[in-house]
Amino acid sequence: MVRRRDPLRPPTKPLLALGLEGSANKIGAGVMQHLPDGTTAVLSNVRHTYNPPPGEGFLPRDTAEHHRQWVHKVINDAISKAGISMHDLDCICFTKGPGMGAPLQSVAVVARTLSLLFRKPLIGVNHCIGHIEMGRLITGAQNPVVLYVSGGNTQVIAYSRQRYRIFGETLDIAVGNCLDRFARVIGLSNDPAPGYNIELEAKRGKRLLPLPYATKGMDVSFSGLLMATEAYTTDKRYRASSTGASDEEDIITPADLCYSLQETVFAMLVEITERAMAHIGSKEVLIVGGVGSNVRLQEMMGVMAKERGGLVFAMDERFCIDNGIMIAQAGLLSYRMGFETTLADSTCSQRFRTDEVAVAWRA
Amino acid sequence: MTTVFKLDDADIISQGAEAKVYHVQLHPSPSPRICIKHRFQKTYRHPTLDAQLSRSRLQAESRVLVRCLRAGVNVPVVRLVDLDGGLLGTEWIDGMSVRRILGGGDEGVLEDDDDDDVAEEDADEHLQKFAVTKDELMRLIGHEIGKLHLADIIHGDLTTSNMMLRTRMADAPAQLVLIDFGLAFNSTLVEDKAVDLYVLERAFASTHPDSEPLYATVLDEYARVLGKAWDPVKRRLDDVRLRGRKRSMVG
Amino acid sequence: MLSSYNYPAFNSLAHVALFDNVTNAKELRSRLISAATMSGPDGELEREAVNFAFVDASLVVSEMHLQTALLFALLADARTSLRTKTVHSEILWALNPTNNISEAIRRFGVSDSTTRLLVVRVCTPPTSTSPENIETALRTGVAGDAVPLSCLSSFTDWSKLTKYYKLPAGVPHERLIQIVESTVGAKSAA
Repeated sequence: MVRRRDPLRPPTKPLLALGLEGSANKIGAGVMQHLPDGTTAVLSNVRHTYNPPPGEGFLPRDTAEHHRQWVHKVINDAISKAGISMHDLDCICFTKGPGMGAPLQSVAVVARTLSLLFRKPLIGVNHCIGHIEMGRLITGAQNPVVLYVSGGNTQVIAYSRQRYRIFGETLDIAVGNCLDRFARVIGLSNDPAPGYNIELEAKRGKRLLPLPYATKGMDVSFSGLLMATEAYTTDKRYRASSTGASDEEDIITPADLCYSLQETVFAMLVEITERAMAHIGSKEVLIVGGVGSNVRLQEMMGVMAKERGGLVFAMDERFCIDNGIMIAQAGLLSYRMGFETTLADSTCSQRFRTDEVAVAWRA
Repeated sequence: MTTVFKLDDADIISQGAEAKVYHVQLHPSPSPRICIKHRFQKTYRHPTLDAQLSRSRLQAESRVLVRCLRAGVNVPVVRLVDLDGGLLGTEWIDGMSVRRILGGGDEGVLEDDDDDDVAEEDADEHLQKFAVTKDELMRLIGHEIGKLHLADIIHGDLTTSNMMLRTRMADAPAQLVLIDFGLAFNSTLVEDKAVDLYVLERAFASTHPDSEPLYATVLDEYARVLGKAWDPVKRRLDDVRLRGRKRSMVG
Repeated sequence: MLSSYNYPAFNSLAHVALFDNVTNAKELRSRLISAATMSGPDGELEREAVNFAFVDASLVVSEMHLQTALLFALLADARTSLRTKTVHSEILWALNPTNNISEAIRRFGVSDSTTRLLVVRVCTPPTSTSPENIETALRTGVAGDAVPLSCLSSFTDWSKLTKYYKLPAGVPHERLIQIVESTVGAKSAA
């Protein structure tokens, strides 16, 4: 097989991009720099998260309101931390989709305004591609199978011929959604994130309870699993306030449920990722998206990858969780390939599939 | 529990994501050697969960094979099921995978074979050896899948690697055998059948770009076998093609 | 007279013989029943004399069919998960598609009217009994003509098999054999 030439040429001058992200409950802004010698630098990465009270999810309206309140401060911080001025930017990148409509629009309006105000080209970016490109940049993974796991997405992706192709995905709810919803059921806090609190709770779990394991080829399904886990909270053995009793006692604790949920859900994800790796003959896995910062998931993926003689690339929460810099990175790559979003095309889309984007910058 | 059989590395045929496949003299010669699929332990999974899954999948796979045979679908005969050892023993199919016959590239190369002429020559040679034309081969494929779907069995992983053309005995007609039912399940849903077909269509497009037009022949024969049941599947297949199997997700 | 299958993985050797024109099926059956309850050294001797799987040969479609059932029994024995009392009765159980033990013995074992008999003796370890001893036991025990195993397929009673295995109609024998063999092969998953 002949490797195609890298279509991405080094820039002739230093390039700066501002990335704006607000597709879910985080508003983020970051400045990315690409230099002629091929190196890149994250000049700033600022974020603010909207946390609803315990037991509640974030609603589109409230989230958009949060973004509107914070967007100026977040952008100002990003620009000043980068030590640049708005005039120095080469382009302004924003999340076109997928995501929640109102929050997406609240940020897109700002992006359009800045673009007109400072006469900078506008680049609409696919949120998922942002995660993937950020992951490749930070970890140095060359051609990994990507597991994209967040509150709204669950996809196994591999690159082929100018597309990030979706090999497998959830048939119903996203994995992050499944974990968050269960966190609400057992009343865990939304701060810093419900998924993170599940992870902490799971560490104290002792007992693996049987839950439906739903993989279908390369796809997964979580809704039945979530219902079954919830059903245990009405089991007569369930002790909501117990923090793990002696081993002999036949009781079910919240920690046991978190543990069982994680073990089952992550096993399903690792399984479909492995299937995709076997299918395309890749030895690298890259985990992106908010759930990707879960250490247990990284650990299980690591065991699988090691057995295949491969490697897992994962990131900490700075880059895993939605941020502006990932939008700047993916946007700058498109910009360097001559792509630009006209004002008329700068609409947002709640549904915007990963495989709709022509990935011109890869061989 | 470990396996009581000595599965020798010398006999290993392939190692997939979930299982290793061996060619083993299970019964004393002159009984033919047998194909053994060993679902090995996945250490990333909780051991209890792993053992349960291995058992239930082995059970499901062997049951589907028997159901296929009863429905007249050509699949390997089941010789052994060892739930504790994670083993499925089946008849060894003497022959060649359709993937190889059609000159498809190595397993594990994603839609990216820069095919050369050598592969093309091989394809003609292989077809000659099995005394079938490409067109006949396509009809055989469509025929088996048609029978499978009429029996409400979904293969779940229809690729040309999972189809074998049996070595022909004397004047026996050419026989296509479907293998690897590890992802198979029962379903009466038109959607599942359409997706099954779509998966094969994609596999054709990616591994055998030159044979893609011939895929129409597969569908033609499939339609003939399905008869009245074809129309709804056809309509759904058109849908699936449009949405590319996957629905849109909200971020 | 004997065909022998060696299964080193199970440290076992199975001896098989096929008889046609068997005239003492009724006697064999009653010996089997009484041997089970006899006490003392006579009981030991008698049990040894009938320590075989006596299979109705008209219900075994191929050597592979028998071997598949045999392997099932050897594996169950090795895993100490026999469903029946002995590895020999386990062969009969393996041949029957349901889980009913007495039905398996009634259908696939020797009956008063059996004239074609397939006899199996499993030796674990292989040297536990010599083939000569087994041949002698069979010569004195079974009144019938020893025939080569290759005759097996010509003995098949398809109408009984169709009933027991619920075989589909209008299907060539070749395919029916596959279904029958697979049913035994997949028995532990049934």
